[in-house]
Amino acid sequence: MTLHFTPVWFIAIPLLLAFLAPLWVRWRLLMPVLFSAQVALFALALSWIPAVQIAPILETIVIAPPLGIHLHLDAIALLLVALFSFAGAIVAAFIWLDNGAAHLRERPAFILMLLLIAGSNGMVLTGDIFNLYVFIEIVGVSAYALAAIRRDKTALEAGLKYVIVGSVAAIFILFAIVLLYLQTGQLNIAALAQAFGNMPAQMQLLIGLLMLIGLGIKAELFPFNFWVPDIYRGSDPEITALYSGVLVKAFLFVLFHLTFILLADPSVARNWLMALGAITMIVAELVALRQNDLRRMLAYSSLGQVGLITLALAFASEATTAGALFHMINHTLIKVLLFLLAALMLRQYASLKLTDVHGLSRTMPLAAGLFVLGALAVLGLPPLSGFISKLWILKGFADVQTFWPVALILTAALIEAGYYFRWIRAFYAPTDALPIAKIEGEKALNYAPLLVIAGLLIVLGVAPFLLEDWLQQAAQALLGREVLLNAVLGR
Amino acid sequence: MSRRLPLRKRFRVHTLLLIALCGWLLMLHLTLLLNHGLDAPSNGVGDLYLARNSETASANAVTTVVVSYRGFDTLGEVTVLFLAATGIGMLFAGGLGATPASRDRHNHPNEVMVTGTRLLFPALLLLGVYIVLHGHLSPGGGFQGGVIVATAFFLRMIADPKFSLDHAPLGWTESFAGSGFVLFGMLGLIFVTTASFLGNFLPHPVAAMGQLVSAGVIPLIYLLVGIKVGAEVGAIFQDMLEADHDTPVSARAAEEL
Amino acid sequence: MLEVLELFDRPAVLHSIYLIGSLILFFIGLYGLLAKRHLLKIFVSIEIMELAVYLILIAIATTPGETAPILSDGLIAFTGMSDPIPQALTLTAIVIGVAVTALGTSMAIQYHRLTGKVSVAEMTELKD
Repeated sequence: MTLHFTPVWFIAIPLLLAFLAPLWVRWRLLMPVLFSAQVALFALALSWIPAVQIAPILETIVIAPPLGIHLHLDAIALLLVALFSFAGAIVAAFIWLDNGAAHLRERPAFILMLLLIAGSNGMVLTGDIFNLYVFIEIVGVSAYALAAIRRDKTALEAGLKYVIVGSVAAIFILFAIVLLYLQTGQLNIAALAQAFGNMPAQMQLLIGLLMLIGLGIKAELFPFNFWVPDIYRGSDPEITALYSGVLVKAFLFVLFHLTFILLADPSVARNWLMALGAITMIVAELVALRQNDLRRMLAYSSLGQVGLITLALAFASEATTAGALFHMINHTLIKVLLFLLAALMLRQYASLKLTDVHGLSRTMPLAAGLFVLGALAVLGLPPLSGFISKLWILKGFADVQTFWPVALILTAALIEAGYYFRWIRAFYAPTDALPIAKIEGEKALNYAPLLVIAGLLIVLGVAPFLLEDWLQQAAQALLGREVLLNAVLGR
Repeated sequence: MSRRLPLRKRFRVHTLLLIALCGWLLMLHLTLLLNHGLDAPSNGVGDLYLARNSETASANAVTTVVVSYRGFDTLGEVTVLFLAATGIGMLFAGGLGATPASRDRHNHPNEVMVTGTRLLFPALLLLGVYIVLHGHLSPGGGFQGGVIVATAFFLRMIADPKFSLDHAPLGWTESFAGSGFVLFGMLGLIFVTTASFLGNFLPHPVAAMGQLVSAGVIPLIYLLVGIKVGAEVGAIFQDMLEADHDTPVSARAAEEL
Repeated sequence: MLEVLELFDRPAVLHSIYLIGSLILFFIGLYGLLAKRHLLKIFVSIEIMELAVYLILIAIATTPGETAPILSDGLIAFTGMSDPIPQALTLTAIVIGVAVTALGTSMAIQYHRLTGKVSVAEMTELKD
């Protein structure tokens, strides 16, 4: 009788805590439990780094891999799980320390947020394709309900749109999984990868397209991302921080994990995905120029970064992949920071339209300052971490003499600079209006989680070598098809 | 439509285009699947499961797959239902509604309904419990039985407007069953003999196959699933009915009667 | 006459019939999804598409002549039985589908109560 720490804890612990919610309600411990659970999982993830660097951990559930479900904790899964737990801890701390937003501190919000992150962890860890579908639905249902959690017109409209689009995406994914099972009789991703090449070419194409539509909708790629800005505009900014920081990253990982594992020669799929990523990036950045609402602007900016990450991941060289993973981390940190700032601003200002936030730096100097920091990090200015990750991506492309993505990424950064400075200028514009009176409850403590992120952006920018080894291994793990197949199927 | 409309107004181009699109996609899928997708999967994992099934001593192979081999999926599935119940409870909490239509339900339920429910309620309850308990022996199990039990209570709610399920005990039941499921999984991880999440750590001799007490943890987990599903679906029904009761307009409608 | 009936026992024929039927159902659902604007009709369409997928899985994975994978009525060995996995997967998928639909319709009901709108075309709150 021994207590093993195994990867399943990343999923089982949040589930247990969510099921025990009536206890936490009675003891008034909801927010402390949410926060400490994420911190504990983050610590657990960090404690595993040495072990995973030696060899990936493979956990069997009930019956050994080709037959049963297994969890696969390699460098990239560990990286993402740690990132998700960290983002969850920051958002939980923000809501806990905050005085407003009572609906985000009740039992439903606790359960939904906890399981949103648990589901994302599951998507990253699982090695079974139907189990992946179940986790996609866990994440989906919590995200739909969270979008509507404010229960007013805008929130319900966002929730309804999300439910409809999300369940259609899930049907396409399920259809692809059904076809995969009917063709091969396998559900384990590694076993499927072996059998995938033996299928008729047209069937491979159909399954690939169904998966691409389903996961493309969920991972917010062009042309499937028409719904995203509405959702981001309608939901609470604290929640959209989780969507942009956790949800999209998990789906991007799933998309590329499946592409690189299932296809023995992913060159065609890679070209398609690179094209999709490039179009997503350029279109989103161009549309962001015209946005007059802060949350819509941030949504389009988030889509632009997703496009950049897709472009770099799809290129599939080790350098760009490591850069893209680093950019994933940066983007999560930055977008959590910016959306939480938007939450704070929304408390002070009724609307976040460009014309309404003139002179914001007078009433909320710290918020405006942090916004500038976040914007500079998105643009990739040294010494912030966004600079390093973009540099790695550009170097990865330049090393193999592929220059069109470099040109596109630099153009996108220029457009980005255009619209972020438009907002910063508005924040620091001199205004005749009297500064709005401070609302009670605006405390310095609110800014503590945001300052942690800001500090981390600077630290990672100055000392990227802290993560470099880990990112290299993660990139190898994402691209290493043979290694994974051998590890799972035990050849 | 009785008036004479020009043809292009009766059939909008938009609709026709959509029909053509769907039809074209249908033909594509049909040609592809009829050519390549007709055979049942051979030598897949399903046959291996069947071959190994007797080791779990559960007479129902589907139950073995649902609760044991792919029990992790089932845990996720229960979680999705739990999330949906939480979301629905959140949506309908504290009478937010503005304009619900008045329902017949506010009238007194008719006699056939009331008597019929009195007659059916115990039978349905018994059937539900039987199906949950015999999940490892016969078709059915926690999900099916749990929904039947919840339906029995739903009938009571419709037949008797005063009858309602209290949310607090439902919440505790659900919490007990859900955490029990996870704890069973953890116990499987702790015992050295199984050392895997959801491992079957109780004795499950093959000789006992087909008896009520057999197959180790499988019937216990399915019982917990049954309790949880029953409580969740019951809570969903209750939420949807309560939303009608609480709203101001329906209260006015009731006064007018 | 009997020969025609025996034709239906051949897996290929039976599977084709199931497949054609479920695919037609799937695309009826897709049409409804694209053409209809009423919220509940959209959820019905989504449900139809989902059910079509379950039907394909269950119908094609079972060959005619196989029994349910349960030991009863004198059966003593797990042979000649249908594949238990699609049945387990469908059970899981149905429960998930029901949960999502219940959540979606609840949102639609609540949205209707707040605004009196039932159509996605009228959802303009979030546009600029």
